[in-house]
Amino acid sequence: MATFWNKNGRKFAYGACGLLLFGLIWFLATNGTELGKILPDPVTVLRKFFVSFAEPIGTKTMVFHILTSLRRMLLPYLVACAAGILLGVVMGWYKPLEAIVKPYIELIRPIPPIAWIPLSIAWFGFAEMSKYFLIFLACFPTITINTYSGVRSVDETIVRAAKMLGARDSQLFTTIVMPSTVPYIFAGLQVAIGSSWATIVAAEMIRSSEGVGWLIISGQETSNMPQVLVGIVAIALTGLVLVSFMRLLETKLCAWNERGQ
Amino acid sequence: MKTKKKFNKYMLVSIVSVAVGIFIWWLVTAGLGLVKSNILPAPDTIVRTFIKKLYDPNPEGGTLFVHLLSSLRVALSGYGLGVVLGIPLGIIMAWYPRIEMTVRPVFDLVRTVPGVAWIPVMVSLAGIGLLSKALVIFISAMVATVINSYSGIKQTKEVHLWVGQTFGASNWELLTQIAIPSALPMIMTGCKIALGQAWTTLVAAELLASTKGIGYMIQQARGIYRLDIVIVGMIVIGLTGAALTGIISLIEKRVLKGGKY
Repeated sequence: MATFWNKNGRKFAYGACGLLLFGLIWFLATNGTELGKILPDPVTVLRKFFVSFAEPIGTKTMVFHILTSLRRMLLPYLVACAAGILLGVVMGWYKPLEAIVKPYIELIRPIPPIAWIPLSIAWFGFAEMSKYFLIFLACFPTITINTYSGVRSVDETIVRAAKMLGARDSQLFTTIVMPSTVPYIFAGLQVAIGSSWATIVAAEMIRSSEGVGWLIISGQETSNMPQVLVGIVAIALTGLVLVSFMRLLETKLCAWNERGQ
Repeated sequence: MKTKKKFNKYMLVSIVSVAVGIFIWWLVTAGLGLVKSNILPAPDTIVRTFIKKLYDPNPEGGTLFVHLLSSLRVALSGYGLGVVLGIPLGIIMAWYPRIEMTVRPVFDLVRTVPGVAWIPVMVSLAGIGLLSKALVIFISAMVATVINSYSGIKQTKEVHLWVGQTFGASNWELLTQIAIPSALPMIMTGCKIALGQAWTTLVAAELLASTKGIGYMIQQARGIYRLDIVIVGMIVIGLTGAALTGIISLIEKRVLKGGKY
C-alpha cells in the first residue's frame, strides 16, 4: 500500500511538473514578446474558458455550443452504429452479400469524410442534414469493416465443433459469433467516435453558426485568438470525455475480454 | 483448386455488383435524366472531366497534376517531420519512466485535439502558405506515431529484457537490440495511421485556407456548382491516399523481414 502511494505520488508530482513547465514556457513565450501579440498567454485562455460558461460567446454560452456539437454528432453516430453493425455481421456471415457490398465500402473508405464536405453542402445545403450525412460517412465504413473482420475472425474450429454438436444457425450466431465479435465492434465504435468528433469540428468550421468548431473559426475571423484557444480547450476536453466514456462502456460490457481490462 | 474456383465466382459477383451500380448511376443521371447534373453528374461526365482536368487549368486555375503535387508536397513535408520526431519521442517516452511521467500529461492534452482544430492557430502564426498547413499536418502525424511507438516499446516482452540483463547488456543495448526491434511492427503501424491522419488533415486544411491543392480545387468547384470536378477531386484524394498507404505497406514488408506480426 505504501509503495502504491509512493509510486502514484511520484507520478502525480512529475506530471504536475510537466504541466507547469509547459504552462511556464507558454507563459514566458507569450508574455510581452512579439509572439504574445498573436498568441495569448495560458492564464488568459484558462480564465476565458471558465468565464465562457457564464458569459455567452456569440449569443450562446459554452455549454450550448458543446451540446449543439454533441447533438449533431450523436444521432448520425447511433444510426451508423446500428446500420454498420448489422451490415458488418451480415457481410461476414453471407459470402454472396459480402461480394456485392464490400467493393463499395472499399471504394468509399479511402476518401476522408472531410473530403465529402463540398458534396454534402451541394446536396443538402447548409442545413443540419449535411452534417448528419458527414458524420454518418465518418462512422459507417469503420464500424462495418470492424464488425465484418470480427465475424470473419471467429475460430473455424469452434464453429465446426458447435455444428457437430448440432447447433442451429441462430444458436451458432448468438453463442459463438456474437461474443467473439463484440471486442472488434467496440474497437470500431471507439475509432468512429474519435473520427466523428474530428469531422463535426471540421464541418462546423467550414459552415455553421454555433458549435465548438464555429467557436474557433469565428475567433479566427475576428482575430480573437483567446476565443480560438478556448474553443480548442473545449474540443479537447469534450473529446477526452467521449473517448473515456466509450472506454468505460467497453470495460463494463466486455469485462470478460482482455482488451477491455 | 476448389477454393480458387469459389474465389473467382465471388470476384465475378463483385465486378457485376459494381457494374450494376455504375449502370444505375448512369441511368438516373444521363439515361433517364431523373437527377440533374448539378446534383449528381453522370459517370461518363466524370471520366471526361477527369481527362480534361489533366491538361486544362480552368475553371479554378490549376491542372490536376499541379494541385496534386502541391498537396503532396505539403502533406509529405509535414508527415516526414512528424514521423522523424514522433518515433524517437515515443521511444524515449516509453523507455525512461521519469520522462514519461513528465511528458505524458502534456501529450495527453495535445492529442485529444483533432488536427483540424489547429488550423486557425497555425494560420494566424504562419499565414496560409505551405508552412502553416505543414505544421498542422506535423502535429497530427506526430501524435499518431508517438502513440504507436510508445505502445510498441511498452509491449516488449519482459522475459526478453531479463535474458538481455542476464547476459550483461547495458540499458542502451537493451533498448536498441531488444526493445526497438520488437517494437518495429507497431512503429510501422503508427507510420501508416499517421499517413491517413496527415492526408485527412491536409484536405481539411486546404478546404479552409489555401490557394491551391486538391482540397482547394473541390471547394472552388463546389462554389461554381461543378460537381463533376468535386467528384473527380474526391476520387483523386481517395486514390492518392490508398497509393500512399500502399507504399508504406511495401516499406513495412522490406523493413520487417523477420517473422509475422
